[in-house]
Amino acid sequence: MFEVRGLPGKIGLQLLLLIMTIPYAIPLVQMIVGSLGGIGFLNYKAVWDTGVVPTYFRNSVIISVGVIALVYVFSMSAGFGFAKLHVFGKEIFFWMILIAMTLPEVILLSPLFVTFQKLRMFDTLFAVIFPIAALQLPFTILLARNFDEGIPNEIMEAGKIDGANIWQVFLHIILPLTKPIASSIIVLTLINSWNAYLMPLLFLQSSTMQTVTLLPQYFQGEFTNDQTKILASAVITAIPEVIVYICMQKNFEKGMSAGALK
Amino acid sequence: MMKKTRIVIAAMLLLTLTASMLSGCGGGAGTTVTDTSTETSGEVVWWGWTPGSPTNEEYIAEFNKEYPNIKVTWKQTSIDDYNAAIRPALANNQGVDAFEVSAGSANGGIEVFGGSAVDLTDAVKAALGEDYKTKLNEDSITTMTVNGQLKGLGVGTVYSGNIWINQDLFDKYGLQPPTNYEEWVAVCRTFEENGLGGFVQGAGQGAFNIDTFHAIVDNVSPGTFTKAARGEVEWTDPAIVKSLEIWKKMFDDGIMQVGALGLQQYPDANNLFMSQQYAMVMMGSWYTSNTLPATMKTAIEAASSTAEPFTMIPINFPDVAGTGNVGSMFGDLDYATAVSATSANLKAATTFAVWLGTSQSGQQIIADSLNVIPSLKSATPNWDVVKLVNPEKQNDAIKAYVENAMQTKNNPRFAAINADMNQAMMDILAGVGGGTITPADGAAQLAQAKADSE
Amino acid sequence: MGIGKGNKSTRVNGLPWILPAFIFVAVIIYYSIFYTLNLSTLDWNGLDPVQTRVGLDNYKKAFGDWVFWKALQNTLIFFVCTFTVQNFLGFLFAAILHTEVKLATLHKCLIFIPTILAPATMAPVFRLLFSPQGMLQDILNFFNAGITVDWLARPVPALIVLMVVTVWQYTGMSFILYHAAMSQIDKEMLEAARLDGAGNIRTLASIVWPNCMGTTVSLAMLGVIGALKTFDIPYLITVGGPNHATEFLGTYIYRQGIRQSHLGYAAALSVILLVAAIGGAILTNKASKRGGK
Repeated sequence: MFEVRGLPGKIGLQLLLLIMTIPYAIPLVQMIVGSLGGIGFLNYKAVWDTGVVPTYFRNSVIISVGVIALVYVFSMSAGFGFAKLHVFGKEIFFWMILIAMTLPEVILLSPLFVTFQKLRMFDTLFAVIFPIAALQLPFTILLARNFDEGIPNEIMEAGKIDGANIWQVFLHIILPLTKPIASSIIVLTLINSWNAYLMPLLFLQSSTMQTVTLLPQYFQGEFTNDQTKILASAVITAIPEVIVYICMQKNFEKGMSAGALK
Repeated sequence: MMKKTRIVIAAMLLLTLTASMLSGCGGGAGTTVTDTSTETSGEVVWWGWTPGSPTNEEYIAEFNKEYPNIKVTWKQTSIDDYNAAIRPALANNQGVDAFEVSAGSANGGIEVFGGSAVDLTDAVKAALGEDYKTKLNEDSITTMTVNGQLKGLGVGTVYSGNIWINQDLFDKYGLQPPTNYEEWVAVCRTFEENGLGGFVQGAGQGAFNIDTFHAIVDNVSPGTFTKAARGEVEWTDPAIVKSLEIWKKMFDDGIMQVGALGLQQYPDANNLFMSQQYAMVMMGSWYTSNTLPATMKTAIEAASSTAEPFTMIPINFPDVAGTGNVGSMFGDLDYATAVSATSANLKAATTFAVWLGTSQSGQQIIADSLNVIPSLKSATPNWDVVKLVNPEKQNDAIKAYVENAMQTKNNPRFAAINADMNQAMMDILAGVGGGTITPADGAAQLAQAKADSE
Repeated sequence: MGIGKGNKSTRVNGLPWILPAFIFVAVIIYYSIFYTLNLSTLDWNGLDPVQTRVGLDNYKKAFGDWVFWKALQNTLIFFVCTFTVQNFLGFLFAAILHTEVKLATLHKCLIFIPTILAPATMAPVFRLLFSPQGMLQDILNFFNAGITVDWLARPVPALIVLMVVTVWQYTGMSFILYHAAMSQIDKEMLEAARLDGAGNIRTLASIVWPNCMGTTVSLAMLGVIGALKTFDIPYLITVGGPNHATEFLGTYIYRQGIRQSHLGYAAALSVILLVAAIGGAILTNKASKRGGK
């Protein structure tokens, strides 16, 4: 966006960028330095030695994959329906879904708790997957709809002339075109499902059902609070997310730019 | 053709949804819970917040020497998340058998959670006989009795009211422990001149402010705090106002370190004391366990320090009001074990709760960990086995300290304050300390909160 | 937000396509809303078999509760400040990173990584950073600034720290959205402006910024909702203190409902929050429609 000519200008801009970015890096540095306090890398070993890291990771992976799968299927189908198909009272449905975006997680706790108890879903991963997906969907449906609206109708018509039915059009024409927005949806959903804290804390009980965000609980007693190991667990928890983000970064940006929110 | 396809798709999507719902539903157990355990076998899930892994596992290992066929699993949450997590667990019929409760108003309060627990009177009679009340700490019975039912078995008591000092640092700078307000200010200043901190309080974590404030009131006018808490005197009593003034002054005169209200007692203040950046901290009898080399080493490492354990000594809260009333301690049951009324391992869980709270072997390990003062009177720390960091300087001081704490009568720490009052007191102390509420207004607001919470 | 633009839809009935998602969201969310409405008329601790119906008392209590008003006030200040700063920074980052600079990907990642990290894991880091014992104090001491970092201990600075943390965490989001919007701006338009002699600042202000207006509106809506929902950052860093100075509706609901066991009162606060959030979102949308055309 800037037009910079000459070396001094270029260096100046680069410096400005650096100065602006440094504050964003400071807490990350403090986090890593903190996790190495006291006994250094042995903090990481201590976290590993709790013996629960693989189980917790497995559960977080299952939850994230489950939420992403639900959100993907529902946003893609609904986004397509809202953008390209004829629905009576479409905007009413759409607004009713959007309103759900305003709902804070705290409000869901009591009602869901009672419901899960009745449905015997307590202490199952579904008790976490369903509400997180429901809270995530309004935003991702909005993203998908806006993206799909940018797809020219002619492409669909062409498909239909070739004799494809709507399902085939969706599967073979729409879905491949929506890959960028799908990446954005996956990254955003991953952030919210991987970082989920309150729902797993309240709705999962057995020790084999815990998630990575609950790892720090191991180092927080009434009269103990081992910051170095809490930070080490935080670093361990964050690594997979950062890796996924870096891998999907290009597509994520493309999805956002090709019509995310306008 | 098109229409059919659409119906098929819709049906498939709905089916997926229902199927996933149903598979979720399949995960639970039946409605009615039957006790599948016996007194000597079963699987017990034990919930709590204290003293924390791995100590709880050590208790379990000791328990398993006597009851090898009862498998106990410790499930820990942080103290702040305990209420949030245990509530759904109890209302649900599975996942919790034994759970920690407290007499206090903070977390796991017996008033709220006792309703989900069974009456343990018969179990304790079977273990200790009809005269069980004489064998146990009085508080551990009275505070756990709700509507005539014994809802939990006290494991141990904690006391507060004293200050812990880093004796090595005091020796290094040739300082004497402060005994009054002026000395306290002076000592803090000397440490600061030497690039260290004097007294540290995590005043952002309200519960510990209540301890410090309670100690001030006990110095100004012994007994007034408890009387006010019980509604026997007004919170607007001059002694309370005076105490709030002293509390405020401690912030102004630099006894409270700069930024105190922004720190938490745990982990912040604890870490600053353990990493020897500050020389004094307001902690209670639970801190005694840090006089054990292994416990302290862990605490020091957790504070990001690699130093060796240091000599830590309890001293009386300084005579801040100049009344001469020192040495007061206040305390209550730190935690008790309750047994969930809907547990599928009720008998086994009861065995565990009774063992931990009333058996000689269970209470001995509690005594030796120096974390809480055991409920069973006959269990005292075995000083032949318990080796402190610096026996020469610490042994006598710690013994006297534990004995003094056990003398405490009728001076509860949190048991007389309900949850709303607790919150109000934390708010008001923070407000007075930060200068947004005057001491007189603070006292008036305490009285108002007391009236509202009735 | 592109709502109401779907006029070119085909005649195929889309109901089966949206219904599953709609039912899924409605069952969970709307059930919860109605449950909360009912709960808000009770006095109940969540475990006790006895539930007392108290009508609208919980609402009356809320409107007479100074902490509630403090929380609303904090939310408003919080929204205005974080929205302005976060989007200004996000916009600037986006503009710079649309220019040819070295190590662009590294910078992008550093800005976005805070958005990925869970507030729960970052809270202890910030409490340490903004304490007299933290790295920030060391830096200030190095420059002999004579400033004491006791900000979390004082009401107004504590609120500012929370805003700084929020901006730190969510600039990545603003950045990504602005970055996306800017890649859609017609290059020829920019060049035409440059040929007319417009400088960098002028181009940014008169071409780029107006073209990103849609994004700004979307961010405003997300911001209103986000500010009302604010929970993790204040709960974990200041616990709403000192003396409720950094209390938000989310933290107060949690405090009342979970810590103090006043489930009915917490539900009433939740209902008020919900109404405020919907109202805020509609207002922002309306204002933008009027302002944008």
